[in-house]
Amino acid sequence: MEGRIKAHPILEFRRGKRVKFYFEDREIEAYEGETVAAALQANGIRVLRYTPNTKRPAGLFCAIGKCSSCLMKIDGVPNVRSCMTKVREGMHVRRQNGRGDVL
Amino acid sequence: MKSYETIVVGGGPAGMMAAITLGSKGVKTLILDENDELGGQLVKQTHKFFGDHAHYASVRGFEIAQKLQEKIFQDTNIEVETSATVIGIYPNKMVVYAKNGKEFKATYEKLLISTGAMEKQLPFINSDLPGVYGAGAVQTLMNEYGVMPGRRFLIIGSGNIGLILAYQLIQAGAEVRGIVEALGKIGGYAVHAKKIKRLGVPIFLKHTIVRAIGNESVLGAVIAKVDNNFNIIPGTEVEKVADTICVSVGLTPLSELAEQAGCKVEYIPQLGGYVPVRNERMQTSNPDVFIAGDLSSIEEATTAMIEGKIAALEMSRNFIKIAANKKNIENEINDEIKTLALFRSGPKSAKIRTGLEKFGINIKHVPKIESYGVQIGPTGKLRAIVDCTEEIPCNSCEAACSFGAIHIGENLNSTPVVDYDKCTGCATCVTACPGLAIHMLKEDLENSTALVGIPYELLPLPEKGQKMWALDEDGNYVCDSIVKRVVKYPNKTNIVYIEVPIEFSRKVLSVSFPKKESPFVCRCEEITLDKIERVVDSGITDFEELKRLTRVTMGPCGGKNCKLVVLGILSRKTGVPISKLSHGTSRPPVKPVEFSLFMKGSDPT
Ligand SMILES: Cc1cc2nc3c(=O)[nH]c(=O)nc-3n(C[C@H](O)[C@H](O)[C@H](O)COP(=O)(O)OP(=O)(O)OC[C@H]3O[C@@H](n4cnc5c(N)ncnc54)[C@H](O)[C@@H]3O)c2cc1C
Ligand code: SF4
Ligand code: SF4
Ligand code: FES
Repeated sequence: MEGRIKAHPILEFRRGKRVKFYFEDREIEAYEGETVAAALQANGIRVLRYTPNTKRPAGLFCAIGKCSSCLMKIDGVPNVRSCMTKVREGMHVRRQNGRGDVL
Repeated sequence: MKSYETIVVGGGPAGMMAAITLGSKGVKTLILDENDELGGQLVKQTHKFFGDHAHYASVRGFEIAQKLQEKIFQDTNIEVETSATVIGIYPNKMVVYAKNGKEFKATYEKLLISTGAMEKQLPFINSDLPGVYGAGAVQTLMNEYGVMPGRRFLIIGSGNIGLILAYQLIQAGAEVRGIVEALGKIGGYAVHAKKIKRLGVPIFLKHTIVRAIGNESVLGAVIAKVDNNFNIIPGTEVEKVADTICVSVGLTPLSELAEQAGCKVEYIPQLGGYVPVRNERMQTSNPDVFIAGDLSSIEEATTAMIEGKIAALEMSRNFIKIAANKKNIENEINDEIKTLALFRSGPKSAKIRTGLEKFGINIKHVPKIESYGVQIGPTGKLRAIVDCTEEIPCNSCEAACSFGAIHIGENLNSTPVVDYDKCTGCATCVTACPGLAIHMLKEDLENSTALVGIPYELLPLPEKGQKMWALDEDGNYVCDSIVKRVVKYPNKTNIVYIEVPIEFSRKVLSVSFPKKESPFVCRCEEITLDKIERVVDSGITDFEELKRLTRVTMGPCGGKNCKLVVLGILSRKTGVPISKLSHGTSRPPVKPVEFSLFMKGSDPT
């Protein structure tokens, strides 16, 4: 059940072109038009970062760009809201550790 | 920098309706939204909306969004900017927004802010664990992206959002382990609650979540009972297995932009938290700035649309030069204010009314027609049974019935009354009702059967001739049934007609495919159908004997739920009609009582 919904009694999902991107160097399949967070979720990946002070795992909470729980390092840029960022072919996504300062 | 007569910030139902109204009055308007599609909350909603037919009642949320979008794109007075996040509103009537990493500026003469609301969070141990989501996040993933974020869900909060989410999860194929509610009653509409109860989802009233279990991801939750002050009662904690926890404990308005725009904001809990102060025409303390929708009070799409229209009409007065047109607009505003008051006159809007009184906005009660409760109608006739006795703002069934058999009247908070002389059994109301509160019924006295037509929005759709389980209002097994007919409807609320023994004609409200495990016939004593059948097969055909051997019907419910079901099984096995079977004597107490009541006499303290 976890993953992509195949049949739905009400909705038809118009999925975009297939794209590939990298999460922690692992190849992830996604569809154009999806957010990074949605694509990771569809692949069973929930932990998106570790918090700065207590190093606790954190994931999605609002999925609409309001809570900053989903900050990730995307193509080298830290503090990007993965729930508001669309997947792009070949992009590199990493879990953010701590504040995500570029060292 | 571009200049507009009006700018609308936020393209949910409130903002869209405002833009449409402004455009229709010839006002040059820019509408901005952060998402890549207009629609706000509507895009995520797969259920048919309540409300009034003039405001898209009975249409599914995402379809309302599409209809409004079409109107907006047709109007050349309206310019649309999506994926545009407004980051600031400055005193010189300037809106600053970010799009594709660039900053843009635009000026306005009148501004509408309709940014909606965000979900409240609930603090509990491990509430930050991945797998704890806001209800809206799950809807976004599930209904926008077709991604299912878990398998087994626990929902916290029984408001409409929690109830609807549970239903949507089941539609998408997930399992809902329960809804936890701290109050002693369900927060949302009864019809939404009944819809999921029939599917077997338990609602744990007077309970709260204590902690989420798991290290890197949710594996379960501990829930516990709470007292009247919402304190956890020690010793009542139980663990629930769930891989996803959805928090839906309410919304709170997004008032930051309004504050930046110089609007006075006040804390009014009945309206959802900090809300901009405004008058009946949605004008804030800054006369050039208006608000509408969830930002002004957490309510519904329908009220959001009407507020958007009122605000837009009032704004448009500024741009209209001809006196006669101004007069027309004045009349339109007054009409909309009246419609809005009607909407809010029901018991479910009591909080909103109290909140609005603080702004000096008073809503009068409108006389209602008398409610007859659930009407059974004439036995033997194919007819609609309407189980909708709570006053909610909805009149979809009245509008759907082309035979005039359902009456609600001017105040759409009134409950529907059926005129069975006029009901033709066409079932249009069954498929139109957003609450799935109507079903069809026809008894066949000769054959002692009843035909029950149940609205069905799940996959797969049963087929004619199939054997199904017939279930009661709590999703409990009642009896086996045969599918007689399946009628598909374009709005995707299909109707499954099943045949059941006549004794169960009023008990059966839901239908499910038979499961592998034998169903519980008596939940109190945990006795399955299988077990009873085995006992009957061993030669026990006397009800009293069956009771003694299995303890069936002897639990705390006193057999209220299962006695008839057991008799049904006995009747099916022996061929003796239920009316001829002895059904045992009821013993006091008739209602479940706390065991302590019996202990009172020997209470050691
Ligand atoms: C699960 C659920 C079920 C519901 N069921 C019903 C129902 O059956 N019937 C009913 O009438 N109502 C229902 N509602 C309520 C209804 O959806 C809301 O009341 C309604 O959407 C509020 O409209 P709105 O336009 O005020 O806000 P929203 O729909 O929230 O729209 C606000 C918009 O503003 C945008 N925005 C916010 N901030 C910015 C910014 N800074 N820059 C640019 N854009 C921004 C957002 O992206 C969003 O698109 C339901 C709501 C939920 C969550
Ligand atoms: S079954 Fe048809 S005629 Fe009867 S109340 Fe419903 S819509 Fe009206
Ligand atoms: S029965 Fe009628 S009033 Fe009640 S929810 Fe259904 S359509 Fe609305
Ligand atoms: S999940 Fe809340 S900002 Fe991304």
